[in-house]
Amino acid sequence: MRITHDAVAGTLESGDVLVRVAPDETLGVSVSTSVEAQYGDVVRKVVATTLAEFGVESGSVIVEDKGALDCTLRARVQAAVARGTDEQIDWPALIGRLP
Amino acid sequence: MGEVDALLERAGIARDADVEFFALAHLGTELVGCMGLAGDVVKCTAVEESLRGTNLVAPLLMEVRYAAIERGHGRLFVYARPKNARVFSALGFRPLAEVPDLAVLMEDDPRGIERYQASLSAMVRQGERIGAVVINANPFTLGHEYLLRAAAADCDIVHVFVVGEDRSLYTYGERFHMVNSGVAQMPERDRIVVHGGSRYVVSGSTFPQYFLKDAPDVSRAYTGIDLQLFRGYIAPVLGIRHRFVGTEPTSEITAQYNAEMTYWLCDAPMAAPPIEVHELQRVGAADQAFVSASKVRALLRAGRLSDVRRLVPATTYDFLVHKQPWDAVGAGGERS
Repeated sequence: MRITHDAVAGTLESGDVLVRVAPDETLGVSVSTSVEAQYGDVVRKVVATTLAEFGVESGSVIVEDKGALDCTLRARVQAAVARGTDEQIDWPALIGRLP
Repeated sequence: MGEVDALLERAGIARDADVEFFALAHLGTELVGCMGLAGDVVKCTAVEESLRGTNLVAPLLMEVRYAAIERGHGRLFVYARPKNARVFSALGFRPLAEVPDLAVLMEDDPRGIERYQASLSAMVRQGERIGAVVINANPFTLGHEYLLRAAAADCDIVHVFVVGEDRSLYTYGERFHMVNSGVAQMPERDRIVVHGGSRYVVSGSTFPQYFLKDAPDVSRAYTGIDLQLFRGYIAPVLGIRHRFVGTEPTSEITAQYNAEMTYWLCDAPMAAPPIEVHELQRVGAADQAFVSASKVRALLRAGRLSDVRRLVPATTYDFLVHKQPWDAVGAGGERS
């Protein structure tokens, strides 16, 4: 899947996360989080896993986390990707794969 | 807009005329916060003193961001006072260049400048002595051609940057075309590389003014930021160690710009290597003291095409004749 246009999801409020996606030739993910010391690795892993579930191959993904729960993080990444692509998303298959 | 102006005034800033969208925050019926958007630049942000520290800027930026995406801008820049950089850092912006106590430029794409540098690295040309010229070319004159020729005589490779932002008489596309076709006629063309505009070559005409007091401050902030971007991010990629600039005796802004250029490119302490500044006297045409784009525009406005012909390369003249922006200059007079 490719990101074909700019899109955002989420907010910068405490306990939430802002995910921005934009078209790019390669896949580039940058993550900054207010809970870097305790959960930086977890946040990166959740973002990477969610993108992999969608099969995102290219695009710039910028995540600014303000301490969101994993489920929130995943939902924001999914929403941003869904808004940023023209491709059909197979939601049932995707949800079936979720834990 | 009266309410917004009052809020901005209480925050000690003004409203730039080019703001096309304002996100507003109300408490009851009272306006307590605002943030403006002009193109892809966030500006004119103000929050009522009593509500500072409540992170009201976060929802304001979200509204601005959605408005920006609707307008085709996925990435944003902000110019602000350095003391407010902290606020924007928390919103995902990071500083690119700063003029102490005056202005800071920040961008919200963590890989924005790296991506631009990667695109520049495809334009790298090997040479002992590599120079650069930055021009607006509004339009491209014999003065510009002379500057390029002098730079090419002194250097192995010359990189030319055409300022990208469109607030000139001729559009960016037209200016880029004039430079390209002009350079293509020059004997030195194989050693001259023309670069299109980018967000990292700033135009003085679109530089935000809202948080600066007077024209000298705006000029100092603009030159400092533009030149730091050039020395810090652009020149190292291309190996540029020399910059060539024409002196313009009648324009105070250009004169001051050239003076500040020596400071920011050579003397200012920066990690990037210094760049030697070469000031060249503008070339004089037969009966004119010197050639400048503003003089050419004045002649065009007056419809004096025959005079224009002597001040611009043949390629530019052809372009001007075939595409006379009469409406834009509001000129009548002889139409040949």
